[in-house]
Amino acid sequence: MNVSRILALAGRIIRQVSRDRRTLVLIFLVPILVTTLLSLVLNTNSSTLTVALVRPTGQGSQQVNTLLNALLPTSDKLKTIDINANQVDSTLNNGNADAALIFPSNFTQQVAAKQHPTVQIKLEGSNPTVASALNGQLQAVTKQLGIALAALQGGQGQPTLPISANVSTPFDTAPTEYLHGGPEYTATDSLAPVFIGVFSFLFILLLTAIAFLRERAQGTIERVMVSPLTRAELVLGYVCGFTIFALIQSLLILLFVVFALRIHYSGNLALVFLVTILLTIGSVNLGIFLSGFAQNEFQVIQFIPLVLGLQIFLSGVFWPIAQLPGALRPIAYLLPLTYANEGLRNVMLKNADIGAIGNDLLALLVFAVLMIALSTLTTRRRIA
Amino acid sequence: MSTTSQDPETVQTPMVEIQQLVKNFGKLNVINHLDMTINRGETFGLIGPNGSGKTTLIRMLVGLIKPTSGDIRIMGEHVPSRKVALKTGYMTQLSALYLDLTARENMRFFARIYSLHGKEQAARIEEMLERVELADRADDIVGTFSGGMRQRLSLATALVHRPTLALLDEPTVGVDPELRRSFWDYFHQLNQEGVTIIVSTHHLDEAARCTRLGLMRAGELLALDTPQEVLRQSGKQDMEEAFLYFASHERKEVTA
Repeated sequence: MNVSRILALAGRIIRQVSRDRRTLVLIFLVPILVTTLLSLVLNTNSSTLTVALVRPTGQGSQQVNTLLNALLPTSDKLKTIDINANQVDSTLNNGNADAALIFPSNFTQQVAAKQHPTVQIKLEGSNPTVASALNGQLQAVTKQLGIALAALQGGQGQPTLPISANVSTPFDTAPTEYLHGGPEYTATDSLAPVFIGVFSFLFILLLTAIAFLRERAQGTIERVMVSPLTRAELVLGYVCGFTIFALIQSLLILLFVVFALRIHYSGNLALVFLVTILLTIGSVNLGIFLSGFAQNEFQVIQFIPLVLGLQIFLSGVFWPIAQLPGALRPIAYLLPLTYANEGLRNVMLKNADIGAIGNDLLALLVFAVLMIALSTLTTRRRIA
Repeated sequence: MSTTSQDPETVQTPMVEIQQLVKNFGKLNVINHLDMTINRGETFGLIGPNGSGKTTLIRMLVGLIKPTSGDIRIMGEHVPSRKVALKTGYMTQLSALYLDLTARENMRFFARIYSLHGKEQAARIEEMLERVELADRADDIVGTFSGGMRQRLSLATALVHRPTLALLDEPTVGVDPELRRSFWDYFHQLNQEGVTIIVSTHHLDEAARCTRLGLMRAGELLALDTPQEVLRQSGKQDMEEAFLYFASHERKEVTA
């Protein structure tokens, strides 16, 4: 491994790309333009939401639980799971539920003793659309429950639901808490992180595939192959040359979404870069690999729908993977952008540390290694 | 790559040894049981029409393609070898250059991947650009160069790292007569400096410039000797006649 030779190659690539003004403008301006447009266009998304319920368990709770079952809307858009009080944060964090409705265990006794117990709504919060929809629904449920219980205490016997009366509720609903994000979060907040991944992946893939194609077409790759440069040095040189542009692009998108679109960013820049670097290594090598199957630039462009279309729809850019049809979910877990998106979202929205995105980093590393193996195989096959 | 104590230069072996070399592309036989030895200091001409296997042979010598069978040794080492790669200059049939870089940037890139650095690199690049008469265009983008200029630059990049073996695949194809002459003058000069040159061409008139010739046709050697001896054996006046003589002679042998 000769660092000077790797730098020679990386330096040449940087020089070539920098000289191509139009490409430079496209790399850096297009992501910003598209991000801006999407942030303007985006509204709601439809999805199946899950509410985790911490039920009251003390004496006489059965009546409250029956009422709750009656009040919680059940549809294929919303389902309810029961959890214990100590599982709230972990259930929200690992994505098993989007919100939690938490009753104190002795809720019934407190109501009976007119102690005015507190019911808590807690939202996962990293997807603002989901958070606000669930907040509204759960607020309504607690209010109706309160009305029902007040009516019961008033001695009117079995209440009929829904009851609409100005009865003062025998308990308070605490202000909604957000584990991540807050009520001011918009859809752009949740999309900005994945744009960094999507754009660096797309542009680097195209740049590498076309650069490599040109090397083959103009015969320079043969001269590089007969030189003392090893395959490892060749791949590393390419990776270094293009990673620089991926990082500058990521930084620009990040600065733009934070300062111009004013997204709420609470992450660690080094981790954003780490995810980008791993993704770029995979992308550069996938580009080299794909260029082996293309005879000209037009054919490279044909790979975009295949490689990128698939990932935009399945990697959780717009729809969480958990909400994909079961048959598509395994495919989603094979896509590098799935892990890049999850990692970038966790870092930028939830301020996750390196341990929290360890699995995503590992998956991206596996993808990168796999792509290096593939690209090495194709350079051998195509040159020989 | 660091230089080791066992420098291939110091080992007194022929520059190139080829034994029973065969190359098939699928069912097509391109090189057929070729034996050949090229000595240090030669200007060896691979002469033959298009499709005779010259380029395939050169591509096997630089290690770009693997022989189907047989053995190639350069400076005593089996190819492909990094040691040999450092001391070999390869000029491809197409002028393989980065068209979006300047002439000097192309030179610098090839110098660096052959581990030529610093002042030595800068001096050598200037020297080579002077030699191929591109010094005044050194900082122009190669994409704006004419075919002849690209060919000259291609030669300069192939030789920038002072190789001891130059493999030149049809360096004069598409080059005007004046430039062809100056190329050959330069090859002669390089040869005087101790560089072994293996050059392929289908210009039969270039054959006389070589110290030895390999006349190739359909993957086989028709003749392997000095230009004078090749002419003498054929009893012909010029190389074109001689080549035709050997070609028809061989055909008779095969059909007999």
